Amino acid sequence: MSSEDSERGSQSDDGERSTADVVSDAVYDNRWRLFGVVATLLGFVFVAALLTDVPLTKLVDIEFWLGLPYGDVFTVGFAERALQAAMPIALAAIGGLYAEKSGVFNIGLEGFMIFGAVNAAAVSWILAGGSASQLDLWIALVATVLLGLIYTAVFAVLTIRYKADQIVAGLAVWFLGLGFGPFTAVVMWGGVSSPPLSSLDTVTVPVLAEIPVLGRLLFDANPLLWVTIAIVLASYVVLYRTRYGYWIQAAGENPEALDTAGVSVRRVRYAAVMFSGAVAALAGGMLSIGIGNGFTGTGTTMVDGRGWIAIVAYLFGNYNPILTALASLLFGAAQMLRIQLGTIGVDLPSSLLEQFPYVTVIVVLTLVGATRVPSAVGESYESEE
Amino acid sequence: MSSTDTTPAASDDASGDGTDAGGDDSLGRRALARLVDASIFERLGIAVASTLLALLIGLVVVAAAGYDPVLFIDNMVYGIFGTYSVADLFGTNNRLAQTLRPTVTFIITGVAVAIAFRAGVFNIGVQGQFVVGGFAAAATIVSIAGSLPGGAAGGAMVIVVATIAAIAAGGLYAMLPGILKAYAGANEIITTIMLNFVASGVVFWLLDAYFRPGGTFFVRTERFPEHVSFPQPIFEGTSFSVVGLAIALLTAGLVFWIMERTRFGYDLVTSGHQADAASYSGVDAKRTIVATMTFSGMVAGLAGAVYVIMVLSYFSDPATLPTFGFDAIAVSLLAANNPLGVIPAGLLFGGLESGGNFVNQSSDVPRQLIDGVVGLVVLFVAAPELFRMAGKRMDVGGDEQ
Repeated sequence: MSSEDSERGSQSDDGERSTADVVSDAVYDNRWRLFGVVATLLGFVFVAALLTDVPLTKLVDIEFWLGLPYGDVFTVGFAERALQAAMPIALAAIGGLYAEKSGVFNIGLEGFMIFGAVNAAAVSWILAGGSASQLDLWIALVATVLLGLIYTAVFAVLTIRYKADQIVAGLAVWFLGLGFGPFTAVVMWGGVSSPPLSSLDTVTVPVLAEIPVLGRLLFDANPLLWVTIAIVLASYVVLYRTRYGYWIQAAGENPEALDTAGVSVRRVRYAAVMFSGAVAALAGGMLSIGIGNGFTGTGTTMVDGRGWIAIVAYLFGNYNPILTALASLLFGAAQMLRIQLGTIGVDLPSSLLEQFPYVTVIVVLTLVGATRVPSAVGESYESEE
Repeated sequence: MSSTDTTPAASDDASGDGTDAGGDDSLGRRALARLVDASIFERLGIAVASTLLALLIGLVVVAAAGYDPVLFIDNMVYGIFGTYSVADLFGTNNRLAQTLRPTVTFIITGVAVAIAFRAGVFNIGVQGQFVVGGFAAAATIVSIAGSLPGGAAGGAMVIVVATIAAIAAGGLYAMLPGILKAYAGANEIITTIMLNFVASGVVFWLLDAYFRPGGTFFVRTERFPEHVSFPQPIFEGTSFSVVGLAIALLTAGLVFWIMERTRFGYDLVTSGHQADAASYSGVDAKRTIVATMTFSGMVAGLAGAVYVIMVLSYFSDPATLPTFGFDAIAVSLLAANNPLGVIPAGLLFGGLESGGNFVNQSSDVPRQLIDGVVGLVVLFVAAPELFRMAGKRMDVGGDEQ
């Protein structure tokens, strides 16, 4: 068994491959799937149009489709909105992929995001009521991340030390968020949602912001965009280029080997899981006070499935942080597409268009199919000392 | 998810309990097997300890948030039973009906979850299947009730047709993620959660576009005619009927019988826990997954029908419905996924629900606290080791550590 183990360990080591290789391989491997995704999305629009009152003759009229101002869909404004929608998904996804790479399936991302969203709003409210300064908001975000670390420390103890069923415990975190998130809001504000709160201002970098398109997208932006990009790049480098990243991969693929090498599997897993909680909390805080103006606790709360979408983003991104961020961008765009479709005259009820990202996720997951998860995910590891 | 990889690490840890290894697919199965492997007393102990610990933490949260925990307990007890004396329990007391009413839905949705979990499939989409089933029932009733004779017989006929429509709709809606899992490897946890959102949105649109009576502001169907309802020999005037409770108990019994005593049920359960053994004996694993999801969704659809007929008498925006489908996961786990065990677990949750509602009416404590307590129950049920270790401290012995 040990020889088999070491073989597997060396196989799964992507450390030496360049990013360009990984990207081009992934695009090549997934070319039919990507085609399928696009085709299915178009199909969804078609069926939705069929169900509503858009005349059929119009739908089969090639002139109508050719005549649509597609250029107007892909505006800089759309790219800006898609980027913003992708930020929380990408962050949570990076956290989820780290935890899973280390051997713990953190299915509780959605719940940790809900806690992040309500905590950020509550801390900024405690600091300054409805009129928090920029500094107050940053303090609130840092506090949210610290609270996220504490929550995931408990989750990590339950799953790693007490060998809790990772799937059921993760679902429990979601239910806890759905319960205690709005509960906190009622205690703080008397209703399940907060009053309007201030959010981070857009920061414009002089000179760089003048660059056409890119300047407006990247240098006249919410500062959390830079934080997100930095975390994505750093987590790529750490995972594939550092010894610590190698430990994380080994903890998920071949814990015995890591143990033999004298590294504590448990400690690596604790660190990865707590990192996932910290970024998920930041992703939630981003929704309530980073981009949005306060916490919404009705229904499935303002997180509204983004944590689940994040899981699909890293599966689609094949556990690669950069590909995962790109997948998040796809889902962000799917969320924002309805605004664009409205502007070019595809007139569908919003209750249907809002389903677009969820349908996209199902389609993507179906096309991605069975992914190769790290082999020791879900297993608690007992050191033999 | 990957079923081709064998995992050495997994077989080490599974300590020879016969479950197969390999990726995410068996991850869930192993985990479920571990929950089920416990002896019946241990299971009962874990369920009771989880619930008590969750309630205790709930009380601490109540106190920490600045409310009076003693008043909270008092309100909970009164809210559940409507009385402090056993003699009054079945008198003119409608609170008990408030407890039994959600119990009905908890039992049926809990059975739906238990079917899937028992067979090693994570159907988190019971909420969506419940919504689709409830909508199908409501749409059927408002469409055909007018053209059938009135009276009790006509009402019964409408109810039967509507219930069949709900079971079919719930089953079909669950079949989709079953097919996606079996034939495309799409993780059913995520597809079913996504389908919950989609069900809610699409049903909202259908209600808005086709079923809203002209001129009304709210997105809901018209009210059902008076004769389309369950008879109420006792608890008259409440929205609880013993017929609903009887349907719930029969469903639990029937599903228990199917799972334990029929070839079909045997195949579902063995493919859930001993996939290799099942496939050697000629069970088609993929077809079993689809069958499991469909069966589970049919029961969820039935829950939707009973809920709209007994409680609502109309159908409205699904986003405003209680999340029975999520609580059902806790109900089923507490019952160790045994359809008969779901009955007491459903009763417990019915009590929590009505107690929580009463607390909400008579004090400032938000009812969302109960949702949080449900989350805690699930969290503790997920970690039986927590209680085993605690138990070991108290008496010497037990297994190796």
